Amino acid sequence: MSETSGPSGPPAAATGATIELEDLTKRYPGSAEPAVDSVNMEIKAGEIVIFVGPSGCGKSTTLKMINRLIEPTSGRIRIDGEDVTDIDPVKLRRKVGYAIQSSGLFPHMTVAQNIALVPRMIGWKKARITSRVEEMLDLVGLDPAEFHGRYPRQLSGGQQQRVGVARALAADPPVLLMDEPFGAVDPITRDHLQDELIRLQHELHKTIVFVTHDFDEAIKLGDRIAVLRERSHIAQFDTPEAILTNPADDFVSGFVGAGAALKRLNLTRVRDVEMADVPTVTVDDPLQRIFDKLRASGTNELLLLDKRHRPYKWLRRGDLMRARGSLARAGTLVHDTVTRDATLRDALEAVLTDNAGRVAVTGRRGEYLGVVDMETLMNSVHEMLEADRLDALEHQHELEEQRSRLTQHEQEGGSGEATA
Amino acid sequence: MNFWEYLGNRRQQLLADAFQHASAVFQCMVVATAIGVLIGVLTYRSQWAGNLATTVTSTILTIPSLAMIGLLIPVVGLGVAPTVTALTLYGLLPIVRNAIVGLRGVDPTLVDAAKGIGMSRLHRLVRIELPLAWPPILTGIRVSTQMLMGIAAIAAYASGPGLGNEIFRGIASLGSKNALNQVLAGTLGIIVLALLFDAVYVLIGRLTIPRGIRV
Amino acid sequence: MTPKRRGAPRDPEPPHAGSPYTDSPYTESSYADTPYAASPREEDEAAGAAGREGAPTSPVAARQPRRVTWRKVTVLPAVLAVVLLATWLWFAQADLDSISENALSDGQVGKALRQHVELTAISTFFVLVIAIPLGILLTRRAFRKGAPVAMALANMGQATPAIGLLALLVIWLGIGEKAALTGIIIYAVLPVLSNTIAGLRANDPTLLEAARGIGMSPLGVLAKVELPLAVPLILAGVRTALVLNVGTATLATFGGGGGLGVLITTGITNQRMPVLLLGSILTVVLALLVDWLASLAELVLSPRGLEVRS
Repeated sequence: MSETSGPSGPPAAATGATIELEDLTKRYPGSAEPAVDSVNMEIKAGEIVIFVGPSGCGKSTTLKMINRLIEPTSGRIRIDGEDVTDIDPVKLRRKVGYAIQSSGLFPHMTVAQNIALVPRMIGWKKARITSRVEEMLDLVGLDPAEFHGRYPRQLSGGQQQRVGVARALAADPPVLLMDEPFGAVDPITRDHLQDELIRLQHELHKTIVFVTHDFDEAIKLGDRIAVLRERSHIAQFDTPEAILTNPADDFVSGFVGAGAALKRLNLTRVRDVEMADVPTVTVDDPLQRIFDKLRASGTNELLLLDKRHRPYKWLRRGDLMRARGSLARAGTLVHDTVTRDATLRDALEAVLTDNAGRVAVTGRRGEYLGVVDMETLMNSVHEMLEADRLDALEHQHELEEQRSRLTQHEQEGGSGEATA
Repeated sequence: MNFWEYLGNRRQQLLADAFQHASAVFQCMVVATAIGVLIGVLTYRSQWAGNLATTVTSTILTIPSLAMIGLLIPVVGLGVAPTVTALTLYGLLPIVRNAIVGLRGVDPTLVDAAKGIGMSRLHRLVRIELPLAWPPILTGIRVSTQMLMGIAAIAAYASGPGLGNEIFRGIASLGSKNALNQVLAGTLGIIVLALLFDAVYVLIGRLTIPRGIRV
Repeated sequence: MTPKRRGAPRDPEPPHAGSPYTDSPYTESSYADTPYAASPREEDEAAGAAGREGAPTSPVAARQPRRVTWRKVTVLPAVLAVVLLATWLWFAQADLDSISENALSDGQVGKALRQHVELTAISTFFVLVIAIPLGILLTRRAFRKGAPVAMALANMGQATPAIGLLALLVIWLGIGEKAALTGIIIYAVLPVLSNTIAGLRANDPTLLEAARGIGMSPLGVLAKVELPLAVPLILAGVRTALVLNVGTATLATFGGGGGLGVLITTGITNQRMPVLLLGSILTVVLALLVDWLASLAELVLSPRGLEVRS
């Protein structure tokens, strides 16, 4: 996607930029306690960082200080090394995408006009804006021809949210801030939008800062999660795996909640585990070939694909006989598939509800890629948990070592530069 | 002389009066809209100033127009001046009020979103807030215009222009045969003008309110 | 509002938060305050078109919390008293010629004022007695079909110049108070009627359903639910009628109905500024005083539960 970066932006604008927050503090006049108290954080280029915490902990305030919708009382913000604390906020915001809850689309503008806003403001050429709008709509999975001229109120909540993301990404900003963007949509749509975001991020590699109060959402989306407590104090800032297996304190474990092992399933995606393969035939294959394949395969079963290679029917050995050779009547329809980006939890769900205990995995256009069954799932979960356990042990070990070295240093009166 | 004959006989006079009436109202409305929206834009962001503007406008609206004209005559004299002043002043009021309410009614999350994607203050006002506040402002303009139609008729008593003169001629010659014709011609003329203006506003609304926020 | 507005204040420049003016009399900025808010068009249009803001023009919905504060009670009467005092002082030292003397002598000013108040009071009484029951009737199922007709009539009425209407009535009924009163009443019935209809329709349908659901009779629903909910609106209607009528009553002079308009017209025709000014000032003071009284009545009489809506 880097070929679409703006002329005014830096050449590498398409992918993410680092964000550094240094002693970021917000104090409102008239209140004794600061709303955000000295946040220090380094966010790497191209990662998704989730701010998660209870209501009123200051996570949104912290987010809005990054694009200075809320001016910090003190502290610095650096994006890609550049100190943006004192630059013109309007200029800053044009480089930082911003998506909010209930989409924030302007109701008097069409979908296309909404998306074109930022590119227009930074002076792109008309033709470029037009093609960019189409591209963005396509990117978020909306048919440009259909949605181009619609007004926001003619869209469903999920579609509005997609357009909101498209607008935020239109000028190809290296950084994307999302303030509970999926807070106002129903759970099913939210799930879809989350999957979409993961897919998008795979293509775009932006630096995304995402605020939510939903820990499951945080686990699902985050490369790293910052669990915040009141006044935006960072309780733990680590990968989801580490937070699940090794919560820093009671506050974090309280927030993680029960069922950490199940939640762990949310962290791995189908594409990360080994898929099984079943023999496949397509509807265009001659019957004889299908019989041959069935006989040749040891599994007793094969998957019938439709013309576009999407899973269509499961065929067992006896099915064709019973249907007297008619493909139209034989076999059981595939009613559930999972994508490569689905979490293992989704896959488990699908496998559990399938009466034969397996589910087909599909690619972006619904084409067949492989099969996941109970056995593959069990194996990978066991491996995963084992690896986590080792990681955690090692981590703990390291910490202890570090601590002992520190104490040693202190005892020796050293300067405390124990680690590099 | 029946009403139709009267209309036929006095066509010239009536058309001239109607034109003057419409043109006075129209010109005052243009000025009032410009000033009214400006006042709205300048005051809506401050709780204090906005409320002051709203209170002042609703107070002035309470004043009967004849009394207002009466107060203006010693200052600006008889004729066109008090008419235009009174019309513009009354015309301002619904517009100021609706502009403030409309601008304040813009969803704060939208303003936040506009800020968030890097729109400057002026940009936000011109591209987001004013377009979203436009339907209530236009309604204010409609209300103003209708009100001014009636006030302009009264202003004729202070030697103002327009169809009000026709009505006052009728009142002055009460009992004569033409009294009814004159009053009727003036009154119906103003109603027709008001409805015409209203139709134009409906059209303007159709053309200027984006489909996305139309009812 | 959106659920995300919670917790610590986040706005960089909180526009209203902690404003010292929240308690001032100026918070009374709702649309219902002015006579012209009664226009049904305004209501429908603005409320619908800008629906997201909770219908700013609706006389019921946009109401801000109201309280009787001492400033509200004292400021306006004090200002009016000062105005009257200044006028009196000015007249005390002014040299009036015979024409002015004539126009103001023999308690003519008092008479004009009394007539004006009378016209306003009587007409307001009739307006309410006609418009509110009619409004209730037109929102009942059996007569609902009549409502659009009434609304259309009200819109037409809005376009009719008061002076023209009055003049026609004078021709029809002859010179005198009767024509003036009739004109004032007709002119005010329509806005109050459409305000009543709009307000009764604005009642939350789920509430009415709930009322029917717990077994209330149609009459019970009307008396115990709809009307109490519509009280603020009816009071707004009273205020609308009062203010409108003070204004229309100034025109009564053109039909021989008397009132303060007499002073104004005498001043204009005779080119006597003192008379003109006195008439105008008294009218303005009366209008503001009536509006102020009505606003107090609105505050005091509105059901408590409906008060706080932000």
